[in-house]
Amino acid sequence: MNFRKRLDDSTPYLLILPVVIFLFVFAILPIAQSLRFAFYDYQLNDQRKNDLYSNPSYNLRLHDETIKYLHFYLDSEAVSVEKEETTQAIAALKEKLTSYDEEVKQLVPSPQMQPVVEVSEEVLEKIEAGKQELVKELNQLYALEDAFTLEEDIHAVAGGFDESVVQPNFTPTENFEEMLQDRRVRSTMRFTLIFTFISVFLELILGIALAMIMNQAIKGRGLIRTTSLIPWAIPTSVAAMMWGYLYDGSAGIVAHLFSSIGLLSKPTDLLLKSGSTLWAIVAADVWKTTPYMALLLLAGLQTIPDTLYESSSLDGANKWEQFRHITLPLLKPSIFVALLFRTLDAFRVFDLIYVLTGGGPGGSTESISIYAYKIMFGQTRFGYGSAIVLTMAIVVGIITFVYIKSLNVKLMGGDGS
Amino acid sequence: MKKNTKTLFYLAIFLYLFIIIFPFIWVFLTSLKPEAEIWGAGALKPFGSKMTFEHYQSLYRGGILTGLKNSLIIATITTTYVTIIASFAAYAIARLKFRGKTLLMVLILSTSMFPQMIVVGPIYQKFVELGLTNSYYITLPYSMISLPISVFILINHFSQIPKEMEESARIDGASKLRTFFSVILPLALPGIFTAAIMTFIGVWNEFLLSLTLNPDAAWRTAPVAISFLRGQFTVYWGQVTAATVVVTIPTLLIVLLFQRQIISGITSGALKE
Repeated sequence: MNFRKRLDDSTPYLLILPVVIFLFVFAILPIAQSLRFAFYDYQLNDQRKNDLYSNPSYNLRLHDETIKYLHFYLDSEAVSVEKEETTQAIAALKEKLTSYDEEVKQLVPSPQMQPVVEVSEEVLEKIEAGKQELVKELNQLYALEDAFTLEEDIHAVAGGFDESVVQPNFTPTENFEEMLQDRRVRSTMRFTLIFTFISVFLELILGIALAMIMNQAIKGRGLIRTTSLIPWAIPTSVAAMMWGYLYDGSAGIVAHLFSSIGLLSKPTDLLLKSGSTLWAIVAADVWKTTPYMALLLLAGLQTIPDTLYESSSLDGANKWEQFRHITLPLLKPSIFVALLFRTLDAFRVFDLIYVLTGGGPGGSTESISIYAYKIMFGQTRFGYGSAIVLTMAIVVGIITFVYIKSLNVKLMGGDGS
Repeated sequence: MKKNTKTLFYLAIFLYLFIIIFPFIWVFLTSLKPEAEIWGAGALKPFGSKMTFEHYQSLYRGGILTGLKNSLIIATITTTYVTIIASFAAYAIARLKFRGKTLLMVLILSTSMFPQMIVVGPIYQKFVELGLTNSYYITLPYSMISLPISVFILINHFSQIPKEMEESARIDGASKLRTFFSVILPLALPGIFTAAIMTFIGVWNEFLLSLTLNPDAAWRTAPVAISFLRGQFTVYWGQVTAATVVVTIPTLLIVLLFQRQIISGITSGALKE
């Protein structure tokens, strides 16, 4: 009996547990991790920066590889050299190499076989001293006159010892300082805000008009609604490819149409001139999301009782007055939700631009998401990319705050019941 | 005067429908034209000199069919598990008392508002470290984009079920869990179905995570596969338009079959007041 009671009491917690776990692992943890990345010079393609190092460390795996290759190369040289004296020098150097390796292994114990181990500055100095000794011997060897074949390669391989020394890449302010200097951050942010403002504004105006049309008792209402769902439901990348074709300078009918009515001097300008490209992207976005906006607002319109309009028209109000004094105020909560979500959506625009223009021409239509993506996945600079994304998140916070304050609506309606 | 407004009104509707539908029709017509007639002088003609299916046959090579298969599997897995766990949580939020409810709701809501880009980096890094890229494990991080909407749609539906149903089950001595499974779930099936459809469409259309976590041609989803048809220097619009038609068909079917659920999903997911 007692067990049943306890089970019953803990039911709500059991029910929310899976969602909480997923939210934690795939939203909260990654966000926290992004926050950490932003304070490091974290680069996936650089051996010395591909993890978060707060303290100096030594890369044992790379060290082992370097030792192995040096032995291998020295063995090859031993085969090609001709003088007895040189062969002995090589053997001596190989012994030195082994003892250096043993020394390093003693200085940097790795009981759990970790590839990279934190070490003190002191130890690093000792390792450095040993390494310089080794390089000196190497140079002496090559000072000998003999038929060496791998001199350059050996020096390149020996560079692995330098790479094994990992200096801390915790650089708390560097990424943010770089961002302040980075003109591309400014230009992509400006472009994103302009794009967001223009498209959301157009979508709102057209969306309200469309919602009011759909709210009329007319023939074909069902058809209009079904049709409206299609642009919203297809993948953005598919819509972008479709518009890419329609906008194409030599094959696209829209580009041809615009140039023949004089909006463009020639069809290829549409996607090759920065001014018109912005409008091309806005038009594709408006095409895809206005119907969705209209459906959202329509739901709000339908909650306004008809009696309000009837009594006001008895009082002699015209259609415009009705719109201003009944429709708009009562539609405010729906407008708020639609605006907020569309603004945040437009602000993080990625797929549409990535597929339609790739950010071109000349980076003029690059959104901040695309820039962050290029930094992270093109240059594998995850630290700097995270700093940019973090800035985006802050802007999202500001946008939300401004909307809530200026429209004075509660984000979650009461207790939700 | 009155008649004029009415004409204008219908003209506006007609224009709207035309703008929405025209791209699809034009793309479909292009997909049947020979490649040479898609460019230059032939570009403005709706029909080619002959009808051809060569672009559809070339889709095998473009990886579009693999993409469709991947999308279908990934969207189905995600929809199944997300809908199940979302309905648990949504019921608890809509009907049961527990500590931290407001916090949980704020968390879920803010997850849906954050730019996705913020989670992609760390998730990618972990996936690479654990060797999970190019696999169906991508369905796990998809919870992040689909759980919030699903939970909010379901909260809405659960709170519309009359409280008396639960109360009478309670009086009969049923536990909360039992009440949920045998009384509430059957009543909420339409709502659960709506949430499932919305999750399916959301995952089917997702681009960024798919592009980064499953970059191999064999693992690309349809939206990513189609974007790769855009080459560095040339684009074969015949192939692109054929791919567009093929990828749009599943969406079109879903819209035609489930439009009522979708409209209810769009409005109940966003309108909380």
